Amino acid sequence: MKHGKEEKTTVLSFSNPVKSRLGGETITRCYQCGTCASSCPVAKINPQFNPREIIKLSLLGEEAEVISSDAVWLCCSCYNCQERCPQKVEIADVIYALRNIAFEEQHSPDIYLEFASALMNNGRLIPISKFLEKKRPDYGLPPLQPTGVEALKKILSAIGLGGQSQKEEAK
Amino acid sequence: MTSYALFLGCTIPARQPNYESSVRKSLSKLGVELVDLPNMTCCAPPPIESINLESSMSIAAYNICLAEEANLDLVTLCSGCFQSLAKTNAMLKADKHLKAKINSILSHTGKKFEGSKEVKHYLQVLVDDISIKRIRQSISKPLHNLKVAAFYGCHALRPSELLKLDDPENPRILDDLIEALGAKSVEYQNKLKCCGGLLRGVSDELALDLAREKLVNTSKAGADCITTLCPFCFIALDIGQIQLRSKLNETYDMPVLHYSELLALSLGIDPEELALDTHKIKIDKVIRKVT
Amino acid sequence: MEEVEVGVFLSDCGKQLSKILDFNALTNYVEKISNVTLVKRDSEFWRGEGLQTIVDAVTSGKINRIVVAESLPKLSEVNIVQAVENAGLNPYLVEVIDLKDHCAWPHRETPREATEKAKAMLVAAIERAKLLEPIEKLEFPALKSALVIGGGIAGMQAAVDLADLGFKVNLVEKAPFLGGLAARAGRFFPTDDCAICIQSPASDVKTITHTSRKCVYRSGFSEIPNLNILTNSKVTDVEGGPGNYKVTIEKRPRYVNELKCVRCDLCTPVCPVEVPDEYNAKLKTRKAIYMNIPNVHPPVYVIDDSVCKFRGCAKCVEACPTDAIELDQKSEQVTLNVGSIIVATGFQEFDSSIIKEYHYGDYSDIITHLELARMIDGFGPTGSVIIRPSNRKPAKKIVMIQCVGSRDRRWNAYCSGICCMISLKHAMLVKTAYPNADVTICYIDIRTTGREHERYYERAREMGIKFVKGRPTEILRDPKTNKLIVDVEDALLKRFLELEADLVVLASAMMPAEGTGELAEILGLELDEDGFFKEYNAKLRPTETKLRGIYLCGGATFPKDAPTTSLHAHSAAMKAAKFLTTGKIVKDQRTAIINEEYCGDCEFCPVTCPYGAISLVPTTEEHFVAQVSDLLCEGCGVCVGTCPLNAIELRHSRPNQMLVQMKALMSVNGTSKPLVLAICCSECGHTAVDSSGMAMMQYPANVRVMKVPCTGILQVHQFLEAFKAGAQGVMVVACKSDGCHYEVGSQKAETKVELARTLLKEYGIEPERLVMFGMVFIEGDKFAEAAHVMTERLAKLGPLQMKGEA
Ligand code: SF4
Ligand code: SF4
Ligand code: SF4
Ligand code: SF4
Repeated sequence: MKHGKEEKTTVLSFSNPVKSRLGGETITRCYQCGTCASSCPVAKINPQFNPREIIKLSLLGEEAEVISSDAVWLCCSCYNCQERCPQKVEIADVIYALRNIAFEEQHSPDIYLEFASALMNNGRLIPISKFLEKKRPDYGLPPLQPTGVEALKKILSAIGLGGQSQKEEAK
Repeated sequence: MTSYALFLGCTIPARQPNYESSVRKSLSKLGVELVDLPNMTCCAPPPIESINLESSMSIAAYNICLAEEANLDLVTLCSGCFQSLAKTNAMLKADKHLKAKINSILSHTGKKFEGSKEVKHYLQVLVDDISIKRIRQSISKPLHNLKVAAFYGCHALRPSELLKLDDPENPRILDDLIEALGAKSVEYQNKLKCCGGLLRGVSDELALDLAREKLVNTSKAGADCITTLCPFCFIALDIGQIQLRSKLNETYDMPVLHYSELLALSLGIDPEELALDTHKIKIDKVIRKVT
Repeated sequence: MEEVEVGVFLSDCGKQLSKILDFNALTNYVEKISNVTLVKRDSEFWRGEGLQTIVDAVTSGKINRIVVAESLPKLSEVNIVQAVENAGLNPYLVEVIDLKDHCAWPHRETPREATEKAKAMLVAAIERAKLLEPIEKLEFPALKSALVIGGGIAGMQAAVDLADLGFKVNLVEKAPFLGGLAARAGRFFPTDDCAICIQSPASDVKTITHTSRKCVYRSGFSEIPNLNILTNSKVTDVEGGPGNYKVTIEKRPRYVNELKCVRCDLCTPVCPVEVPDEYNAKLKTRKAIYMNIPNVHPPVYVIDDSVCKFRGCAKCVEACPTDAIELDQKSEQVTLNVGSIIVATGFQEFDSSIIKEYHYGDYSDIITHLELARMIDGFGPTGSVIIRPSNRKPAKKIVMIQCVGSRDRRWNAYCSGICCMISLKHAMLVKTAYPNADVTICYIDIRTTGREHERYYERAREMGIKFVKGRPTEILRDPKTNKLIVDVEDALLKRFLELEADLVVLASAMMPAEGTGELAEILGLELDEDGFFKEYNAKLRPTETKLRGIYLCGGATFPKDAPTTSLHAHSAAMKAAKFLTTGKIVKDQRTAIINEEYCGDCEFCPVTCPYGAISLVPTTEEHFVAQVSDLLCEGCGVCVGTCPLNAIELRHSRPNQMLVQMKALMSVNGTSKPLVLAICCSECGHTAVDSSGMAMMQYPANVRVMKVPCTGILQVHQFLEAFKAGAQGVMVVACKSDGCHYEVGSQKAETKVELARTLLKEYGIEPERLVMFGMVFIEGDKFAEAAHVMTERLAKLGPLQMKGEA
């Protein structure tokens, strides 16, 4: 699932792997109007992050710069940009697609590895403490149902992520 | 009696018994049954979407399949869960190629996504199934003196084309529900901007910057409290205040309540039953105005 | 029945062809074919002595069917057919083929194979010629009058052109006054002179004070002979066809007698009803009885019946010194008979309030360019002063936003094309009047194509107008100061700007005029995906529609500036004039014919015919049968291919004619390769074969070409017939599906080829043996390549083994 690895010098085709991924399909529609940037609450306060720029860099083939930088992880997925983009670029989804590539290339912040292993192990992102679980009757809450960890593992390994997140856990 | 499969998610059972019990108790009082189905998982929210979109979509679809099998629509309390599940539901219903692709992944779990059920946020259940009018009639303790800042957050509203909760540029659903309780919904600047919740852990500083903006603007508008419809927004604004105090020595003291808590209080449910000690910022001010 | 006697004329193109083809062998071969009574060879047959040979043969009565092998058949055919007709034979008994570009040139490397193919081509032509039948020419009377719908620049220009040429013209405008959007625009780029001049085109014929350009009140527009102007009127129904339309118009009452009103303006002061003046951007009010601006046309007041109190008031009636006001006027139905129709309905501004984040409609200091134009106009509501509508104080800081609802997939994906220039115009007009004004234009791209337009943009920069490259996300309003704040990223600086503004002006998109869809339905015209009227061909027939007799011009097909609109209008008028000028429509009967006994009243053909030529008419037994209008039918055959009961045939392309051709083309091989039948449409398909031959591209001689009017005529069973006739493979060569000259023909053929591919399996025929290709005329290389690929594929597949055959 690695894209564009051997094209480090001429990477103009980076928009192709992005476009052919789930979430990235609309990237080439962008005509750089900047509506997304001025809609973005993060870009407004952090000059490191600008969705328009991330898209431009991707379209120009600057894969390494996009994938290895922190910027792509600063989107808060608020979809403000996507809602207003006149070209219906699915910007937040494009950023997910870029993050997916970055994750595969092992450029993601550590917390995402934690998320991955939590998901594999518990079927939940956030573990529920025994303490809280015991206290549920006191709050008048019914006991928790079992989670479908097994199904989840099957899904992840069908996609080829099962092994990967274990690898990352080992790290 | 209307029944829904309840999608609880991860954060609520792990952190917010106040949210869970207020929703369960007020909905049951209003005649909605919530069914707890076994074998649900995480909804695969943005952190998982960031890792792999196909997986997150498959996981969301898997959970919808459980509801389909039980022949129930799904209701969520968390905007993150709502977004993941409703978005997936809408996308798979609209795109048969995508549906086939996801179903081929789901086949490993023995499930098949049909597209026969709806995914709703509980606010939609309140408005569509119960109605503003009935809520107004059912409350015993109207919140006449309360000025409430409605905070929608992002994930329940957008992408609006798929979620269809309300007009993303001018949402009313939460404001209407607040006013149904007799309280006043106050306008404040940048009401629709993000709380920064999802940046916590990635860039805490940025997350706090965004949270601060909300606290400053709602205080300026004279709100007694902020009301949320999502556990992440709740954390960002409630625990966020503790962090702002400890790290930057900024104090706001702005109570943050879930809408369901306001609802439960005005339905006359005993505050003792609502696990209100979960709140980091004390909400006594608000309780005092209710009783 | 008269004996069929075929004359065959073989041109060797000045001995060029005989270097490749063995003409003696061809002559010998042809002479032996039954009913061939004359065979001649010459260097050319389409002019001079050669042509005379044909004419002599016809006049002598020796022959009554003619086959000519001539180069450049698309050209030579015209001459030959004309000469034959003059000589007294029905011109449709002639078959012209091209042995040069379809045979000798592309197979010059294999002359022997080429000669064998030429034999097959000649037999095919001869066999078809034998079955040809005379086709009549029909004449339909046409009224020398026209209807022009829409009284803006386009409609007025076209109407005057036609009136000057002597046609009777009816100009219908749905508003109470002429002028359309142009009249509201005030001034036009790039000359900045007043729009109202262009609004009213000068008639060259009648006006007494003839100058080169006249504004509406100098043009004498209403006095132009032959021109009947109907304002406040709407087309509600159109019946009939080209040359003879019956048009029903609803004429709404004006309540003021046009002949009596003297524009004394005594009525408005007494009228007690005051409403916001929409025409003037609601910046002022008007009375129930009003004129838009003083110099409108017709120069007659009108009463707005949605607000007038009528008999409850009638103050104006008392005030009017000439008794012009007639409160009892009623809507009238007017019926007109016209020969031709020109649609000039223009465009309208997009409703920007749909874009919620821009708050148009919420904040009154956000306006559109059409509204700003009213402020700039000296006749406008503010007398040329630029104000903030919220407090009527002068606006000093102005921000303009481009592409509002244009280039936006959520609303209108296209670029409206003229709004960049409009913004530049308005920015400069404001700056000229108020040199200290601060004007900023937020743009995505500035589009200034057109003569003088780039210079216009440069002048704007010289004048100090600021440009920010960025599309704002939102317009906010500071509740305290009421100032607007435009939130935008300057993408070049990568900097966020909050531009403060007294007035924000939106360059709103231009959309099809209201009622466009409804009118399209009435006229049977198609709209494009953006909702504008679709022309017949954007490149070659930009003002024609697929319906003969109906023309389009101006913004009805897409937003246009004034100069382009004028050009367009003149073009439409010219086309209509050409159509009407003789007072009759001459058309041959190369049309579809229905076998009423077979027709099962299934309604397939009426909906399929791209020209609306088929209708179902009742028969005696309470049944309906399809009927073709010879006037409307274009002879494509799409209906033939659609009819499930084989009830339709084309007079000039009957199934038996096609069958003998197929068989003949497959009767001689002469190559070691599998025979391929290439069924080509007469438009791009067949001409692509021409162009590959002209360029001497080589492909194998086993590929044989058969021409049909349009591939839409093909029926599934004909593919099977082709294989039975000996084809090892069949190519269907047509226009690209979006470029079909008969609109839907190649799409229909595509689906039939798909269907046939599955059915052929039943007969043991591999689906790969039937392939459809779409190409345009210049893609001769594509044809040659397809011929190669097909031949190789068939060689690999091996000989065809049909089930049930040995
Ligand atoms: S808003 Fe859309 S088109 Fe404009 S820069 Fe952003 S992604 Fe590109
Ligand atoms: S989704 Fe991401 S890029 Fe878009 S506005 Fe929100 S934070 Fe910015
Ligand atoms: S002409 Fe200019 S303003 Fe109008 S849509 Fe095109 S680019 Fe946008
Ligand atoms: S031949 Fe073509 S134009 Fe004529 S009736 Fe048939 S489909 Fe219509």
